[in-house]
Amino acid sequence: MNKINLIISSAYAAIISSIFVVGITICAELSPALKEWLKSISGHHWTTKSIFTALIFVVISCVLYLLRKNTTGNIKRSLALLLVIVLVGSIAITAFYTGHHFKVW
Amino acid sequence: MDIISILQSKPILIGLHLGFAIVGIDLYFWLLGKFKDRIGSVKNRVVLAGMGTLAFIASWITGGYYYVVYYGSLVKPVIKGGVAPWVHNIVMEAKEHIFLFVVPMAVVVFFIACMSDEEIDRSGIRTLAIWLTGTVAVLGLLIGAMGFVISATARWGVIN
Repeated sequence: MNKINLIISSAYAAIISSIFVVGITICAELSPALKEWLKSISGHHWTTKSIFTALIFVVISCVLYLLRKNTTGNIKRSLALLLVIVLVGSIAITAFYTGHHFKVW
Repeated sequence: MDIISILQSKPILIGLHLGFAIVGIDLYFWLLGKFKDRIGSVKNRVVLAGMGTLAFIASWITGGYYYVVYYGSLVKPVIKGGVAPWVHNIVMEAKEHIFLFVVPMAVVVFFIACMSDEEIDRSGIRTLAIWLTGTVAVLGLLIGAMGFVISATARWGVIN
């Protein structure tokens, strides 16, 4: 097993799943129809988001790993990007709900 | 009362959610020290990261079950009707979604923990490994603090 590729693939999968969480969270708050659709899948919008997040992470990790099997990539760039995306995503979600509460949007 | 009913009761679920999170946070801080000081074997780091990740997954499942089954119908109305409804609107909403970042990032750190010290240094990722491990632990701590604020608000919502 190529550990470097495993790390790069899982890092990009974590980046994509984090972007998905931020995107679906904000879109679902602004679109009641989307939130209802999420709820209709599992009974609760958060459960559906959790399932989708886990699926996106696992599937994309596997696909990227298989596609990149014999190549080397920039491991530092993938990990740095993951760190930035998670920090920016945490701030974005908190800022969004703060603005939503105070009816900024 | 059978064991499943006990595990599904509200105080036990909250206790398990918090307890698993504390175990995950502690193990990731421990792992951070191992990365920083270049101590411990690969097996040692893999066990710490693996158990930490499993603890975060267990916290996700137990907390999620409590949130979906009990929080919305029992706790949310108390907070929304109390002195600080913003605690649900901002703190709880942020907490439940930021939590979704933790497990994928913890899994990435687990894979980094599978590398030897020589491989980590050769790849030039020691500083990033430290930062990512610390971020998992600190996000866990922040989420724990948010949970404390939510619980305290619900208690004061009942008292007031």
